[in-house]
Amino acid sequence: MVESLDLFPLFLSLKVATAATVLAALIGIPIAYYLSRSHGKVADFIDALTTLPVILPPTVLGYYLLVLLGRKSIIGEFLEKTFGITIVFTPFGAVLAAFVVAVPFLIKSARAAFASIDPNLIRAAKVLGRSDINIFFVVIFPLSWRGVASGIMLVFARALGDFGATLMVAGNIPNETLTMPVAIYDALLAGNHRLANVLVIIMTSVSVLLLYMMRRIEKRMVRGDGAHAARKH
Amino acid sequence: MLHVNIKKTFPHFLLDVSFTVEKGITAILGPSGSGKSLTLQCLAGLETPDEGIITLNDRPFFDAGQGVNIKPRERKIGYMFQNYALFPHLTVKQNIAFGLKGKPKAEVEEKVEKMLKNMELERYGDRYPAELSGGQQQRVALARALIIEPDVLLLDEPLSAVDPSMKETLEQQLLTFIDKHFSGVVLLVTHNLEEADRLCDRWIIYHNGSVIQLGAKEEILARPVNVPVARMLGYKNIFPVANIRPVDQGVIAVVGDSELFMKATSPSSFDFVAIHYDHLMFVENECVNTFDYDIVQTKTRMNVVEAILETKHFQLQVKVPRKEWSSFGQTKKKIHLPPEHLFFLEK
Repeated sequence: MVESLDLFPLFLSLKVATAATVLAALIGIPIAYYLSRSHGKVADFIDALTTLPVILPPTVLGYYLLVLLGRKSIIGEFLEKTFGITIVFTPFGAVLAAFVVAVPFLIKSARAAFASIDPNLIRAAKVLGRSDINIFFVVIFPLSWRGVASGIMLVFARALGDFGATLMVAGNIPNETLTMPVAIYDALLAGNHRLANVLVIIMTSVSVLLLYMMRRIEKRMVRGDGAHAARKH
Repeated sequence: MLHVNIKKTFPHFLLDVSFTVEKGITAILGPSGSGKSLTLQCLAGLETPDEGIITLNDRPFFDAGQGVNIKPRERKIGYMFQNYALFPHLTVKQNIAFGLKGKPKAEVEEKVEKMLKNMELERYGDRYPAELSGGQQQRVALARALIIEPDVLLLDEPLSAVDPSMKETLEQQLLTFIDKHFSGVVLLVTHNLEEADRLCDRWIIYHNGSVIQLGAKEEILARPVNVPVARMLGYKNIFPVANIRPVDQGVIAVVGDSELFMKATSPSSFDFVAIHYDHLMFVENECVNTFDYDIVQTKTRMNVVEAILETKHFQLQVKVPRKEWSSFGQTKKKIHLPPEHLFFLEK
């Protein structure tokens, strides 16, 4: 019985969520940092744009991605001709869909963490002779990493669970682009309740574990940094 | 000697200040939002003025005309921030050593040890700021600012975070440690009159982004130049002047229907006359500037009685020690405004 379980969707989902999380960290953290420092019109616009995926239905997001990155689109054609990468109906598409859906959570959480740092700490560091880069690693990062880490976990959880946008952009090709949430849907439609149950339990366990870890991290964040180990500077 | 002459424009605010200060502690005193902290940030290079110059002992920090703008880290400024801004994730030692990055390890250790000793923090080197009392945090902040051997020390509201019961102790502590370990220019920003009074002999008065008066404390207290300054210093008896008339040995100022004789020269412009309540005198005999009064209102405070008196022409506010208030009420029914303590001020 057990051998008949196809766990490909589980591994694909983990890979896709990991890739989307890395992408989100690389792009989301700098944006969050920028938003925490700026309050102009441009910042407001970027803020609105990066919050949009939370509000829009995943199908609408998926549709935009299809239009933007499809094989006939400018970007899609460019990627295919120069790098031989096709986005639509490939695992790349799944990664992009998961990234777009999940990155707002990281931006929000990291931005709040950066913004909660007393600007006088940064001023003090400047007056005491430190460069901006040094200040980021010695002051800003040590004081905000918990917020950023919690955002990264949230992104992973959200990326792991994406259904709508992934289905639109990557489809549900078995052993190719079939991620866990889509596989659950397919399994239910096909009457394979056992597979659906197993996948649902796995998804739930991973999500609960992530939320629990986030809670632990945030709790320490509230308690303050007074007790934690000395940091090199 | 620190010379500042800068302008910086914001959508709803203009900072336009100019002053020169010598060694010793000078207060920048003014209401919130008058540009005090902004001035300190310009001095430290954290904000860039639109125009003007900043020089310290002939060393230019900033000169818009010459395109000079020295980076904050090269200005060697000791800056104690509001609420101290100690790094919460670093120990006391690490906080104090923060400005010594790049120096040889042995030298850093030696300097930090010496500073811990100077600031009486020897036992707290490995603690975190959150584990210290307010007074200890203040000393860590001072140590961190002084360890780079600055030429100027900037103190931004150094006592605003302090519990009122501890305030005078910490004021005294701050003064003592600065006296002992620093001999350059000190600028202390505050909105608190008593604090400026206790800590500084020289004042720069700020209002809406400009310097309206500067000089020795006593001079400013005795002769504020305009109504906002006078109000800030606690003046209550300020009267609009309708006209003036020079007379022998002084000026007559027409206030409402009455005339006040002043031992002053005729000013080029006149808007108001003022007198401090300390200088009002209760008298029995008729003489110049003496008026009958009725008591309109009295408020009894801990040590003084504050009363509003009404003469035929104007109201006066007086503060009288509680003990004295009860004794003169029966006999002395006139109030005297001594001519030498009346002065003109602008609106």
